[in-house]
Amino acid sequence: MEEVLIATSFLRAIIERSFMQHALITGVLIGVLAPLVGSFVVIKRLSLIADTLSHFSLAGLSIGLFFINILGLPLGDPLYIGMVFAVIGALLIEALRSYYKNYKEISMPIVISLGTALSALFISLSGGFNTSIFNYLFGSILTVSRQFVYIIIVLTSVILVLVAAFYKQIVIISFDESYAKLLGIRVGLFQFFSTVILALIVSLSIETVGVLLVSSLMIIPVAAAMKVGKSFKSTVLIAILFSEISVLMGLWLSFIFSIPSGATIVLFNIIILLSVVISRKIIGTWLIKEKNPETMRSSLPHKKDAT
Amino acid sequence: MRIDVDNLSFGYDYRTVLKNISFTLQSGDFLVLIGNNGSGKSTLVKCLLGINKVPEGKIYLDGQDIHNFKDWLRVGYVPQKFDDFNYEFPITVNEILNVTKFSKVDNDQKLQLLDRMGILKLQNENINELSGGQLQRVFITRALMNNPKLLILDEPTAGVDQENVIGFYRIVNDLNAEGVTIILVSHDTKGSKTNMSHIMNLDEGRAKYINVCDLDFQEESE
Repeated sequence: MEEVLIATSFLRAIIERSFMQHALITGVLIGVLAPLVGSFVVIKRLSLIADTLSHFSLAGLSIGLFFINILGLPLGDPLYIGMVFAVIGALLIEALRSYYKNYKEISMPIVISLGTALSALFISLSGGFNTSIFNYLFGSILTVSRQFVYIIIVLTSVILVLVAAFYKQIVIISFDESYAKLLGIRVGLFQFFSTVILALIVSLSIETVGVLLVSSLMIIPVAAAMKVGKSFKSTVLIAILFSEISVLMGLWLSFIFSIPSGATIVLFNIIILLSVVISRKIIGTWLIKEKNPETMRSSLPHKKDAT
Repeated sequence: MRIDVDNLSFGYDYRTVLKNISFTLQSGDFLVLIGNNGSGKSTLVKCLLGINKVPEGKIYLDGQDIHNFKDWLRVGYVPQKFDDFNYEFPITVNEILNVTKFSKVDNDQKLQLLDRMGILKLQNENINELSGGQLQRVFITRALMNNPKLLILDEPTAGVDQENVIGFYRIVNDLNAEGVTIILVSHDTKGSKTNMSHIMNLDEGRAKYINVCDLDFQEESE
Protein backbone atom coordinates (compact mmCIF):
# COMPACT_ATOMS: atom_id res chain seq x y z
CA MET A 1 0.00 0.00 0.00
CA GLU A 2 2.86 2.32 0.88
CA GLU A 3 4.57 1.59 -2.47
CA VAL A 4 1.38 2.51 -4.34
CA LEU A 5 1.23 5.82 -2.46
CA ILE A 6 4.87 6.56 -3.30
CA ALA A 7 4.33 5.72 -6.97
CA THR A 8 1.18 7.86 -7.02
CA SER A 9 2.98 10.81 -5.42
CA PHE A 10 5.81 10.46 -7.99
CA LEU A 11 3.30 10.50 -10.85
CA ARG A 12 1.43 13.41 -9.28
CA ALA A 13 4.69 15.33 -8.98
CA ILE A 14 5.37 14.76 -12.67
CA ILE A 15 1.88 15.93 -13.64
CA GLU A 16 1.75 18.91 -11.31
CA ARG A 17 5.29 20.23 -11.08
CA SER A 18 7.05 21.71 -14.09
CA PHE A 19 10.57 21.00 -12.74
CA MET A 20 9.69 17.29 -12.64
CA GLN A 21 8.39 17.43 -16.21
CA HIS A 22 11.59 19.14 -17.34
CA ALA A 23 13.67 16.52 -15.54
CA LEU A 24 11.67 13.67 -17.06
CA ILE A 25 11.84 15.02 -20.64
CA THR A 26 15.57 15.79 -20.32
CA GLY A 27 16.31 12.38 -18.80
CA VAL A 28 14.30 10.45 -21.38
CA LEU A 29 15.84 12.31 -24.36
CA ILE A 30 19.41 12.07 -23.02
CA GLY A 31 18.58 8.42 -22.32
CA VAL A 32 18.05 7.97 -26.08
CA LEU A 33 20.88 10.15 -27.36
CA ALA A 34 23.70 9.05 -25.04
CA PRO A 35 23.62 5.28 -25.78
CA LEU A 36 22.81 5.89 -29.47
CA VAL A 37 25.92 8.00 -29.98
CA GLY A 38 27.76 5.94 -27.36
CA SER A 39 27.35 2.82 -29.52
CA PHE A 40 29.40 4.38 -32.32
CA VAL A 41 31.96 5.62 -29.79
CA VAL A 42 32.34 2.10 -28.34
CA ILE A 43 32.67 0.49 -31.79
CA LYS A 44 35.50 2.88 -32.65
CA ARG A 45 37.15 2.13 -29.28
CA LEU A 46 36.99 5.79 -28.29
CA SER A 47 35.25 5.30 -24.94
CA LEU A 48 37.51 7.86 -23.24
CA ILE A 49 36.44 10.66 -25.58
CA ALA A 50 33.26 11.45 -23.60
CA ASP A 51 35.25 11.84 -20.39
CA THR A 52 37.78 14.05 -22.16
CA LEU A 53 35.09 16.30 -23.60
CA SER A 54 33.19 16.56 -20.32
CA HIS A 55 36.37 17.67 -18.53
CA PHE A 56 37.05 20.24 -21.23
CA SER A 57 33.45 21.38 -20.96
CA LEU A 58 33.97 21.87 -17.20
CA ALA A 59 36.77 24.31 -18.09
CA GLY A 60 34.21 26.33 -20.09
CA LEU A 61 31.71 26.19 -17.23
CA SER A 62 34.36 27.37 -14.73
CA ILE A 63 35.48 30.19 -17.01
CA GLY A 64 31.81 31.11 -17.53
CA LEU A 65 31.19 31.22 -13.78
CA PHE A 66 34.30 33.38 -13.33
CA PHE A 67 33.23 35.89 -15.99
CA ILE A 68 29.61 36.00 -14.81
CA ASN A 69 30.01 35.84 -11.02
CA ILE A 70 33.35 37.60 -10.47
CA LEU A 71 33.65 40.01 -13.41
CA GLY A 72 29.90 40.51 -13.70
CA LEU A 73 29.73 40.05 -17.47
CA PRO A 74 26.23 39.31 -18.84
CA LEU A 75 27.05 36.04 -20.61
CA GLY A 76 23.84 34.15 -19.73
CA ASP A 77 23.97 30.54 -18.56
CA PRO A 78 27.54 29.18 -18.14
CA LEU A 79 26.25 25.95 -19.70
CA TYR A 80 26.41 27.58 -23.16
CA ILE A 81 30.06 28.47 -22.58
CA GLY A 82 30.54 24.84 -21.53
CA MET A 83 28.97 23.73 -24.84
CA VAL A 84 31.32 25.99 -26.81
CA PHE A 85 34.29 24.58 -24.90
CA ALA A 86 33.17 21.01 -25.52
CA VAL A 87 33.14 21.74 -29.26
CA ILE A 88 36.58 23.42 -29.03
CA GLY A 89 37.83 20.34 -27.13
CA ALA A 90 36.42 18.09 -29.86
CA LEU A 91 38.20 20.07 -32.58
CA LEU A 92 41.41 19.99 -30.56
CA ILE A 93 41.16 16.19 -30.27
CA GLU A 94 40.64 15.87 -34.05
CA ALA A 95 43.60 18.18 -34.74
CA LEU A 96 45.87 16.20 -32.39
CA ARG A 97 44.67 12.90 -33.86
CA SER A 98 45.71 14.10 -37.33
CA TYR A 99 49.03 15.45 -36.02
CA TYR A 100 49.97 12.23 -34.18
CA LYS A 101 48.70 9.83 -36.85
CA ASN A 102 50.28 6.72 -35.32
CA TYR A 103 49.64 7.69 -31.69
CA LYS A 104 46.09 9.03 -31.93
CA GLU A 105 45.25 8.17 -28.29
CA ILE A 106 47.76 10.82 -27.15
CA SER A 107 45.11 13.46 -27.95
CA MET A 108 42.89 12.39 -25.01
CA PRO A 109 45.29 12.92 -22.07
CA ILE A 110 46.51 16.20 -23.57
CA VAL A 111 42.99 17.63 -23.88
CA ILE A 112 41.81 16.20 -20.54
CA SER A 113 44.87 17.68 -18.80
CA LEU A 114 44.30 21.10 -20.34
CA GLY A 115 40.60 21.00 -19.39
CA THR A 116 41.28 19.93 -15.81
CA ALA A 117 44.04 22.52 -15.35
CA LEU A 118 41.83 25.34 -16.68
CA SER A 119 38.95 24.14 -14.49
CA ALA A 120 41.10 24.06 -11.34
CA LEU A 121 42.45 27.54 -12.12
CA PHE A 122 39.10 29.23 -12.76
CA ILE A 123 37.26 27.39 -9.96
CA SER A 124 39.91 28.78 -7.61
CA LEU A 125 39.62 32.28 -9.13
CA SER A 126 35.83 32.09 -8.74
CA GLY A 127 36.18 31.53 -5.01
CA GLY A 128 36.52 27.76 -4.83
CA PHE A 129 33.82 25.07 -4.77
CA ASN A 130 30.24 26.23 -4.48
CA THR A 131 26.79 24.82 -5.27
CA SER A 132 27.06 25.59 -9.01
CA ILE A 133 30.35 23.75 -9.37
CA PHE A 134 29.02 20.82 -7.30
CA ASN A 135 25.95 20.65 -9.60
CA TYR A 136 28.16 20.65 -12.70
CA LEU A 137 30.32 17.89 -11.27
CA PHE A 138 27.49 15.58 -10.21
CA GLY A 139 24.48 16.81 -12.18
CA SER A 140 21.25 18.53 -11.19
CA ILE A 141 18.54 17.27 -13.48
CA LEU A 142 15.81 18.62 -11.21
CA THR A 143 16.94 22.21 -11.85
CA VAL A 144 16.93 22.25 -15.69
CA SER A 145 15.16 25.21 -17.23
CA ARG A 146 12.38 25.22 -19.83
CA GLN A 147 14.81 26.81 -22.33
CA PHE A 148 17.23 23.92 -21.77
CA VAL A 149 14.43 21.43 -22.44
CA TYR A 150 13.71 23.13 -25.78
CA ILE A 151 17.41 22.88 -26.72
CA ILE A 152 17.43 19.17 -25.85
CA ILE A 153 14.27 18.55 -27.92
CA VAL A 154 15.72 20.35 -30.97
CA LEU A 155 19.12 18.64 -30.67
CA THR A 156 17.54 15.19 -30.26
CA SER A 157 15.37 15.73 -33.34
CA VAL A 158 18.32 16.96 -35.44
CA ILE A 159 20.57 14.06 -34.37
CA LEU A 160 17.89 11.42 -34.99
CA VAL A 161 17.27 12.83 -38.48
CA LEU A 162 21.03 12.91 -39.23
CA VAL A 163 21.55 9.34 -38.00
CA ALA A 164 18.61 8.12 -40.11
CA ALA A 165 19.81 10.04 -43.19
CA PHE A 166 23.45 8.92 -42.97
CA TYR A 167 22.94 5.57 -41.24
CA LYS A 168 24.94 3.58 -43.81
CA GLN A 169 27.90 5.95 -43.84
CA ILE A 170 28.04 6.22 -40.04
CA VAL A 171 27.91 2.44 -39.55
CA ILE A 172 30.60 1.73 -42.18
CA ILE A 173 32.91 4.43 -40.82
CA SER A 174 32.46 3.09 -37.28
CA PHE A 175 33.12 -0.54 -38.15
CA ASP A 176 35.65 -0.21 -40.97
CA GLU A 177 37.10 3.23 -41.67
CA SER A 178 39.46 1.97 -44.39
CA TYR A 179 36.62 0.36 -46.35
CA ALA A 180 34.51 3.51 -45.97
CA LYS A 181 37.32 5.48 -47.64
CA LEU A 182 37.42 2.95 -50.48
CA LEU A 183 33.71 3.43 -51.06
CA GLY A 184 34.41 7.14 -51.59
CA ILE A 185 32.80 8.25 -48.30
CA ARG A 186 34.26 11.51 -46.97
CA VAL A 187 35.39 9.98 -43.70
CA GLY A 188 37.14 13.13 -42.41
CA LEU A 189 34.03 15.28 -42.88
CA PHE A 190 31.79 12.71 -41.17
CA GLN A 191 34.22 12.36 -38.29
CA PHE A 192 34.38 16.11 -37.83
CA PHE A 193 30.59 16.47 -37.55
CA SER A 194 30.30 13.32 -35.39
CA THR A 195 32.81 14.74 -32.92
CA VAL A 196 31.03 18.10 -32.79
CA ILE A 197 27.68 16.37 -32.19
CA LEU A 198 29.29 14.20 -29.52
CA ALA A 199 30.62 17.33 -27.83
CA LEU A 200 27.14 18.89 -27.78
CA ILE A 201 25.58 15.74 -26.30
CA VAL A 202 28.30 15.51 -23.66
CA SER A 203 27.85 19.12 -22.60
CA LEU A 204 24.06 18.73 -22.44
CA SER A 205 24.35 15.47 -20.48
CA ILE A 206 26.27 17.33 -17.78
CA GLU A 207 22.91 18.65 -16.51
CA THR A 208 21.70 15.08 -16.06
CA VAL A 209 24.57 13.28 -14.34
CA GLY A 210 27.40 15.81 -14.14
CA VAL A 211 30.88 16.06 -15.62
CA LEU A 212 32.30 13.14 -13.66
CA LEU A 213 29.58 10.69 -14.71
CA VAL A 214 28.74 11.75 -18.28
CA SER A 215 30.66 8.98 -20.02
CA SER A 216 28.80 6.37 -17.95
CA LEU A 217 25.52 7.33 -19.67
CA MET A 218 27.12 6.70 -23.05
CA ILE A 219 29.20 3.65 -22.33
CA ILE A 220 27.62 1.47 -19.59
CA PRO A 221 24.26 0.74 -21.29
CA VAL A 222 26.15 -0.10 -24.50
CA ALA A 223 28.59 -2.36 -22.62
CA ALA A 224 25.62 -4.29 -21.18
CA ALA A 225 23.70 -4.41 -24.49
CA MET A 226 26.75 -5.75 -26.39
CA LYS A 227 26.50 -8.95 -24.36
CA VAL A 228 22.80 -9.40 -25.14
CA GLY A 229 22.22 -8.10 -28.68
CA LYS A 230 22.53 -10.36 -31.71
CA SER A 231 22.54 -7.64 -34.35
CA PHE A 232 23.70 -4.02 -34.53
CA LYS A 233 20.17 -2.57 -34.45
CA SER A 234 18.99 -4.81 -31.62
CA THR A 235 22.09 -3.95 -29.58
CA VAL A 236 21.53 -0.20 -29.97
CA LEU A 237 17.83 -0.58 -29.08
CA ILE A 238 18.65 -2.69 -26.01
CA ALA A 239 21.24 -0.08 -24.93
CA ILE A 240 18.57 2.64 -25.21
CA LEU A 241 16.13 0.44 -23.23
CA PHE A 242 18.69 -0.12 -20.45
CA SER A 243 19.47 3.58 -20.42
CA GLU A 244 15.79 4.56 -20.14
CA ILE A 245 15.19 2.05 -17.33
CA SER A 246 18.16 3.58 -15.47
CA VAL A 247 16.97 7.15 -16.02
CA LEU A 248 13.40 6.43 -14.89
CA MET A 249 14.44 4.29 -11.93
CA GLY A 250 17.11 6.84 -10.99
CA LEU A 251 14.59 9.69 -11.04
CA TRP A 252 12.06 7.68 -9.08
CA LEU A 253 14.52 6.52 -6.41
CA SER A 254 16.00 9.99 -6.05
CA PHE A 255 12.45 11.36 -5.58
CA ILE A 256 11.58 8.76 -2.93
CA PHE A 257 14.80 8.86 -0.91
CA SER A 258 15.89 12.45 -1.69
CA ILE A 259 19.24 11.27 -3.04
CA PRO A 260 21.24 12.68 -6.00
CA SER A 261 19.53 11.66 -9.26
CA GLY A 262 22.74 11.58 -11.37
CA ALA A 263 24.49 9.14 -9.07
CA THR A 264 21.35 6.98 -8.82
CA ILE A 265 20.99 6.81 -12.61
CA VAL A 266 24.61 5.73 -13.01
CA LEU A 267 24.42 3.18 -10.20
CA PHE A 268 21.28 1.68 -11.75
CA ASN A 269 23.20 1.41 -15.06
CA ILE A 270 25.93 -0.49 -13.21
CA ILE A 271 23.35 -2.82 -11.59
CA ILE A 272 21.99 -3.66 -15.08
CA LEU A 273 25.50 -4.28 -16.41
CA LEU A 274 26.35 -6.59 -13.50
CA SER A 275 23.06 -8.45 -13.89
CA VAL A 276 23.77 -9.03 -17.59
CA VAL A 277 27.34 -10.20 -16.98
CA ILE A 278 26.39 -12.55 -14.12
CA SER A 279 23.31 -14.00 -15.84
CA ARG A 280 25.29 -14.62 -19.05
CA LYS A 281 27.96 -16.40 -17.05
CA ILE A 282 25.36 -18.61 -15.32
CA ILE A 283 23.44 -19.35 -18.54
CA GLY A 284 26.67 -20.03 -20.47
CA THR A 285 27.93 -22.51 -17.88
CA TRP A 286 24.52 -24.21 -17.75
CA LEU A 287 24.33 -24.52 -21.56
CA ILE A 288 27.79 -26.11 -21.82
CA LYS A 289 26.91 -28.49 -19.02
CA GLU A 290 23.61 -29.44 -20.69
CA LYS A 291 25.07 -29.97 -24.16
CA ASN A 292 28.21 -31.82 -23.31
CA PRO A 293 29.24 -32.36 -19.70
CA GLU A 294 32.65 -33.74 -20.75
CA THR A 295 33.72 -30.48 -22.35
CA MET A 296 33.48 -28.86 -18.92
CA ARG A 297 36.83 -30.42 -18.11
CA SER A 298 38.66 -29.23 -21.21
CA SER A 299 39.11 -25.70 -22.45
CA LEU A 300 37.09 -24.73 -25.49
CA PRO A 301 38.91 -23.51 -28.64
CA HIS A 302 38.04 -20.04 -29.88
CA LYS A 303 35.52 -20.13 -32.69
CA LYS A 304 37.63 -17.95 -34.94
CA ASP A 305 40.41 -20.54 -34.94
CA ALA A 306 38.21 -23.01 -36.77
CA THR A 307 37.61 -22.59 -40.48
CA MET B 1 37.73 -1.94 -65.96
CA ARG B 2 40.90 -0.96 -67.83
CA ILE B 3 44.00 -0.19 -65.76
CA ASP B 4 47.09 1.68 -66.98
CA VAL B 5 50.12 2.03 -64.73
CA ASP B 6 52.87 4.19 -66.19
CA ASN B 7 56.37 4.11 -64.74
CA LEU B 8 55.17 4.09 -61.13
CA SER B 9 57.66 4.43 -58.30
CA PHE B 10 56.53 4.69 -54.71
CA GLY B 11 58.15 4.66 -51.28
CA TYR B 12 57.65 5.39 -47.62
CA ASP B 13 59.90 8.06 -46.07
CA TYR B 14 63.37 7.33 -47.52
CA ARG B 15 62.68 3.76 -48.65
CA THR B 16 61.61 3.12 -52.24
CA VAL B 17 59.26 0.12 -52.38
CA LEU B 18 58.06 0.16 -56.00
CA LYS B 19 60.49 0.94 -58.85
CA ASN B 20 59.34 1.96 -62.34
CA ILE B 21 56.31 -0.32 -62.56
CA SER B 22 54.39 -0.17 -65.86
CA PHE B 23 51.58 -2.40 -67.06
CA THR B 24 48.19 -2.34 -68.73
CA LEU B 25 45.18 -4.50 -68.02
CA GLN B 26 42.15 -4.55 -70.30
CA SER B 27 38.59 -5.08 -69.00
CA GLY B 28 38.16 -8.74 -68.11
CA ASP B 29 41.89 -9.44 -67.63
CA PHE B 30 43.04 -11.50 -64.67
CA LEU B 31 46.37 -10.52 -63.10
CA VAL B 32 48.03 -12.64 -60.46
CA LEU B 33 50.53 -10.61 -58.46
CA ILE B 34 53.19 -12.75 -56.83
CA GLY B 35 56.33 -12.08 -54.82
CA ASN B 36 57.95 -12.66 -51.46
CA ASN B 37 57.04 -10.85 -48.27
CA GLY B 38 58.09 -7.20 -48.50
CA SER B 39 58.34 -7.29 -52.29
CA GLY B 40 55.79 -4.47 -52.62
CA LYS B 41 52.59 -6.38 -53.49
CA SER B 42 50.38 -4.75 -50.86
CA THR B 43 51.96 -1.34 -51.56
CA LEU B 44 51.03 -1.64 -55.24
CA VAL B 45 47.48 -2.66 -54.28
CA LYS B 46 47.17 0.38 -51.99
CA CYS B 47 48.35 2.59 -54.87
CA LEU B 48 45.69 1.11 -57.15
CA LEU B 49 43.03 1.67 -54.48
CA GLY B 50 44.05 5.31 -54.04
CA ILE B 51 45.09 4.72 -50.40
CA ASN B 52 48.73 5.45 -51.23
CA LYS B 53 48.80 8.82 -52.96
CA VAL B 54 50.81 8.61 -56.18
CA PRO B 55 51.88 11.53 -58.42
CA GLU B 56 49.48 12.53 -61.20
CA GLY B 57 49.78 10.67 -64.48
CA LYS B 58 50.94 7.39 -62.99
CA ILE B 59 47.74 5.36 -62.65
CA TYR B 60 44.66 5.50 -64.88
CA LEU B 61 41.43 3.63 -64.14
CA ASP B 62 39.13 3.37 -67.15
CA GLY B 63 41.20 6.10 -68.81
CA GLN B 64 40.85 8.54 -65.88
CA ASP B 65 43.76 9.69 -63.79
CA ILE B 66 43.31 8.08 -60.34
CA HIS B 67 43.28 11.59 -58.82
CA ASN B 68 40.09 12.41 -60.73
CA PHE B 69 38.55 8.93 -60.52
CA LYS B 70 35.18 9.02 -58.72
CA ASP B 71 33.56 5.66 -59.44
CA TRP B 72 35.07 3.84 -56.45
CA LEU B 73 31.87 1.86 -55.91
CA ARG B 74 32.89 -0.15 -58.98
CA VAL B 75 36.09 -1.27 -57.28
CA GLY B 76 35.71 -4.23 -54.92
CA TYR B 77 38.45 -5.04 -52.44
CA VAL B 78 39.05 -7.97 -50.10
CA PRO B 79 41.88 -7.15 -47.69
CA GLN B 80 44.60 -9.56 -46.64
CA LYS B 81 43.47 -9.45 -43.03
CA PHE B 82 40.27 -8.15 -41.54
CA ASP B 83 42.10 -6.31 -38.77
CA ASP B 84 40.65 -2.97 -39.83
CA PHE B 85 37.18 -4.25 -38.99
CA ASN B 86 36.08 -3.49 -35.42
CA TYR B 87 34.93 -6.87 -34.15
CA GLU B 88 33.09 -7.82 -30.98
CA PHE B 89 30.29 -5.30 -31.33
CA PRO B 90 27.34 -7.36 -32.62
CA ILE B 91 26.47 -6.96 -36.31
CA THR B 92 24.88 -9.49 -38.64
CA VAL B 93 26.05 -10.49 -42.12
CA ASN B 94 22.94 -8.87 -43.57
CA GLU B 95 23.59 -5.59 -41.77
CA ILE B 96 27.16 -5.43 -43.09
CA LEU B 97 25.99 -6.04 -46.64
CA ASN B 98 23.10 -3.57 -46.41
CA VAL B 99 25.26 -0.68 -45.21
CA THR B 100 27.85 -1.44 -47.90
CA LYS B 101 25.29 -1.43 -50.71
CA PHE B 102 25.12 1.92 -52.46
CA SER B 103 24.27 0.73 -55.96
CA LYS B 104 20.94 -0.48 -57.29
CA VAL B 105 21.44 -4.04 -56.15
CA ASP B 106 18.03 -5.35 -55.10
CA ASN B 107 17.34 -7.81 -52.32
CA ASP B 108 16.98 -10.78 -54.71
CA GLN B 109 20.42 -10.09 -56.19
CA LYS B 110 21.86 -9.91 -52.70
CA LEU B 111 20.28 -13.25 -51.76
CA GLN B 112 21.61 -14.82 -55.00
CA LEU B 113 25.08 -13.56 -54.14
CA LEU B 114 24.86 -14.99 -50.63
CA ASP B 115 23.67 -18.30 -52.07
CA ARG B 116 26.50 -18.33 -54.60
CA MET B 117 28.98 -17.77 -51.77
CA GLY B 118 27.38 -20.54 -49.73
CA ILE B 119 26.48 -18.27 -46.83
CA LEU B 120 22.76 -17.75 -47.43
CA LYS B 121 21.91 -19.48 -44.15
CA LEU B 122 24.30 -17.20 -42.27
CA GLN B 123 22.69 -13.92 -43.31
CA ASN B 124 21.17 -13.26 -39.90
CA GLU B 125 24.14 -14.52 -37.89
CA ASN B 126 26.30 -12.26 -35.77
CA ILE B 127 29.71 -12.16 -37.51
CA ASN B 128 31.47 -12.76 -34.20
CA GLU B 129 30.09 -16.29 -34.30
CA LEU B 130 31.46 -17.15 -37.76
CA SER B 131 34.55 -19.18 -38.56
CA GLY B 132 37.52 -17.69 -40.46
CA GLY B 133 36.45 -19.28 -43.76
CA GLN B 134 32.86 -18.07 -43.40
CA LEU B 135 34.06 -14.60 -42.51
CA GLN B 136 36.26 -14.49 -45.58
CA ARG B 137 33.25 -15.30 -47.79
CA VAL B 138 31.27 -12.53 -46.07
CA PHE B 139 33.96 -9.99 -46.94
CA ILE B 140 34.15 -11.22 -50.53
CA THR B 141 30.37 -10.82 -50.76
CA ARG B 142 30.76 -7.32 -49.33
CA ALA B 143 33.26 -6.52 -52.09
CA LEU B 144 30.68 -7.64 -54.67
CA MET B 145 27.73 -5.66 -53.29
CA ASN B 146 28.07 -2.78 -55.76
CA ASN B 147 28.63 -4.86 -58.93
CA PRO B 148 32.36 -4.10 -59.20
CA LYS B 149 34.14 -3.88 -62.54
CA LEU B 150 37.47 -4.39 -60.79
CA LEU B 151 38.01 -6.83 -57.94
CA ILE B 152 41.26 -6.72 -55.97
CA LEU B 153 41.92 -9.69 -53.69
CA ASP B 154 44.90 -9.47 -51.34
CA GLU B 155 45.89 -13.04 -50.40
CA PRO B 156 42.25 -13.95 -49.86
CA THR B 157 42.77 -17.65 -49.17
CA ALA B 158 45.34 -17.33 -46.39
CA GLY B 159 44.22 -19.57 -43.53
CA VAL B 160 41.28 -21.03 -45.44
CA ASP B 161 40.87 -24.80 -45.83
CA GLN B 162 41.39 -26.48 -49.23
CA GLU B 163 37.71 -27.16 -49.88
CA ASN B 164 36.83 -23.50 -49.39
CA VAL B 165 39.84 -22.41 -51.50
CA ILE B 166 38.61 -24.46 -54.47
CA GLY B 167 35.10 -23.04 -54.10
CA PHE B 168 36.51 -19.55 -53.80
CA TYR B 169 38.55 -19.75 -57.04
CA ARG B 170 35.51 -21.15 -58.85
CA ILE B 171 33.58 -18.01 -57.90
CA VAL B 172 36.46 -15.70 -58.87
CA ASN B 173 36.80 -17.43 -62.25
CA ASP B 174 33.06 -17.05 -62.85
CA LEU B 175 33.20 -13.36 -62.06
CA ASN B 176 36.15 -12.94 -64.40
CA ALA B 177 34.25 -14.79 -67.12
CA GLU B 178 31.46 -12.22 -66.64
CA GLY B 179 33.94 -9.44 -67.51
CA VAL B 180 35.18 -8.35 -64.08
CA THR B 181 38.88 -7.40 -64.08
CA ILE B 182 40.62 -9.31 -61.31
CA ILE B 183 43.88 -8.58 -59.49
CA LEU B 184 44.78 -11.44 -57.17
CA VAL B 185 47.70 -11.07 -54.79
CA SER B 186 49.28 -14.39 -53.90
CA HIS B 187 52.53 -15.82 -52.60
CA ASP B 188 52.74 -18.11 -55.64
CA THR B 189 50.69 -19.33 -58.56
CA LYS B 190 50.72 -23.01 -57.70
CA GLY B 191 47.59 -23.00 -55.56
CA SER B 192 45.72 -20.57 -57.80
CA LYS B 193 43.40 -22.52 -60.04
CA THR B 194 42.47 -19.39 -61.87
CA ASN B 195 41.76 -18.06 -65.33
CA MET B 196 44.83 -15.84 -65.01
CA SER B 197 45.79 -13.95 -68.13
CA HIS B 198 48.80 -12.14 -66.68
CA ILE B 199 51.33 -12.71 -63.93
CA MET B 200 53.47 -10.06 -62.33
CA ASN B 201 56.35 -11.18 -60.17
CA LEU B 202 57.48 -8.40 -57.87
CA ASP B 203 61.04 -8.69 -56.64
CA GLU B 204 62.33 -5.91 -54.40
CA GLY B 205 59.93 -3.46 -56.00
CA ARG B 206 60.80 -4.33 -59.60
CA ALA B 207 58.28 -6.14 -61.78
CA LYS B 208 58.69 -9.04 -64.11
CA TYR B 209 55.52 -8.94 -66.15
CA ILE B 210 54.35 -12.00 -68.04
CA ASN B 211 51.41 -12.28 -70.36
CA VAL B 212 50.15 -15.82 -69.91
CA CYS B 213 48.49 -15.76 -73.31
CA ASP B 214 51.85 -15.17 -75.00
CA LEU B 215 54.13 -17.31 -72.89
CA ASP B 216 54.12 -20.85 -71.68
CA PHE B 217 53.02 -20.14 -68.14
CA GLN B 218 53.75 -23.60 -66.75
CA GLU B 219 57.43 -23.31 -67.65
CA GLU B 220 57.70 -19.78 -66.32
CA SER B 221 56.15 -20.57 -62.99
CA GLU B 222 58.23 -23.67 -62.29
